[in-house]
Order: sequence, then C-alpha cells, then structure tokens
Amino acid sequence: MVYKRKKYHYGDTHLKKKWRTKRRTKDLDEIDEDLKPENCQKLLNQPVDFDKPGSGQHYCIHCARHFISDSALQDHFRTKVHKRRLKALEIEPYTVEDSERAAGLGSWKAPVKRKIETQGKSSESDPESSNKRMRIDEDDGEL
Amino acid sequence: MRIETCYFCSSRIYPGHGIQFVRNDCKIFKFCRSKCHAAFKKKKNPRKVKWTKAYRKTVGKELAIDPAFEFEKRRHIPIKYNRETWAKAVEAMKKVEKIKQKRQGAYILQRLRKGREIEQERDIKEVQRDISLIRSPAAGLKQRKQEEAMAEDAKSSDEEMEGIVEDGGEVTL
Repeated sequence: MVYKRKKYHYGDTHLKKKWRTKRRTKDLDEIDEDLKPENCQKLLNQPVDFDKPGSGQHYCIHCARHFISDSALQDHFRTKVHKRRLKALEIEPYTVEDSERAAGLGSWKAPVKRKIETQGKSSESDPESSNKRMRIDEDDGEL
Repeated sequence: MRIETCYFCSSRIYPGHGIQFVRNDCKIFKFCRSKCHAAFKKKKNPRKVKWTKAYRKTVGKELAIDPAFEFEKRRHIPIKYNRETWAKAVEAMKKVEKIKQKRQGAYILQRLRKGREIEQERDIKEVQRDISLIRSPAAGLKQRKQEEAMAEDAKSSDEEMEGIVEDGGEVTL
C-alpha cells in the first residue's frame, strides 16, 4: 500500500530540507573546538566503525565529513568547498558569549584572524601512515 | 525570570517571547523572534548582517570598548542576598546607565562630526571647480581689458618720463 508523503504543508519544499535540524551539520564554532590539538588527534585517529563512510578512517576536520578512501579525501582537499571552509574558519567563529558582549555585557572583543591549513600539511606523517596500515589490515582480513 | 539576550541580534528577550534551540552539544541559543531564528538556521554570520548589534560593534558604529560595560556581566559567582547591597546596586545601576548612555551618545556624535568635516571639504572643492556656473569667467572682461590698457599706457608714459629725467639731469623738489 502506498501512503501519502509525510509532510504536505505547502511550505515544506525540498528547499527547506537542507535547513532542518534532522540534517544539521556541525557549526563553525563546533569545528573550531575540534581543531584543538587534543580533539584533532582523536578525530583523525578514529576506531574502525563500519557504519561510517570508509569505516571512519578518512575524515576532514574542517568540513566535518567522512570520505570513503584516502584518494577521495585528497581530491576533496583540492575542491572549492574545502577551500571556502578554510577561509570561513580563518576568523574566530561567533559564539553565545560574543552575542552577550554585543548586548553590552562586558566589553566587545574583536574576532582574531588565524591561519588555517589543511590537516595533511601540518601533521602529515602520523595519521596517514596509521590509516594506510589500518587499510592493509582490513584487506588481509577480507582475504 | 530573567531578561535574556538574543543570540543573533543581541536584543532583549522578555519572558514569554522568542524561541530557544538546544544544540546536540548542550549549547543553548536563544532568539528574540522568528527573523533571528530563521537567520540562524540559514547559518548567517551576525557579524556580517547589518541590523545586528554585533555588526554595529565590529564596524565601529557604536561604542564597543568602555569600562562602563564591565558592570553588567555574567559572573557565575553566587552572592548571598543582602538588602543593603541590593539597594546600593539598584542605585548604582541607574548611575551606570546614565553614564553609559552619555558616552554612547558622545561616541556617535564624535563619529558624525568627521563626516561633516569631509562634507565641508567636498563642498568647497565643488564650488572651486564649478565656480564658472555661479560667476561667468567673462564677467568684467571689458573692464579688466580697459584697466590693462590704462596700466600699459601709464607704464609707457612712466618710461618716457624716466627717459626725460635721465636726459634732464636736474630735478627740483
């Protein structure tokens, strides 16, 4: 039996789908938190999880996305989406505290501009080699 | 009961108004109206949207850094209730508010003063450039020519006179 589709209010279009909380992606200030070295290491060296794309082994921190393989990740680093995200992260993200300062609770603090690089450039040796080892192990298991 | 501040436009949220969003990392975002909520959902940056307080402070339209802002703050320090301090605080709040408003007003006036200076300079420049529209460059041309002719005549006569003087040699006073 075919049911009617769930949301048939005229305002519910495919255009609004992207902004639903169901499809909510990480905000810039959350990613800023991830960029701290201790969180960064954790995210780059995730345990194997078969529910995630690429078993959670190929993660781009800045875009908060998993990729299926290392080559896909490297391709992603060369895309405009990724570069735009790096640019957006350059300026310190806006937070709840900032909104309070703007309202006059405490003096206003101007956002600081930082330099942000793709993850491979700064910490190239460790995560990549471990990723490769992981993949080889998986292959062995399958064979 | 507390008057909250809007995450997006930093305006006041009175009890019973607005909506709040709790993100999956327990951060609470409060919005004063659907306009601000919708802007948040679209991931707009309040620093770049012109009608927010954050924009006005980043761009320097309003007084942003001042010791008068240090009084009202979220301090996360519990204070035991004391009627005397409460009464004093209420008095102080009134005074601080007065000072704050005065400074903010002065800041805006100072800012606008610069604009007026620039405007004046521009006006002067414009008048100098387009003076021909007010006063024709040909105005009084005839008179000037006549004057020049007179001056030339006078000069030539002077020269003649000098020649005479040189020739004559004697001048009686």
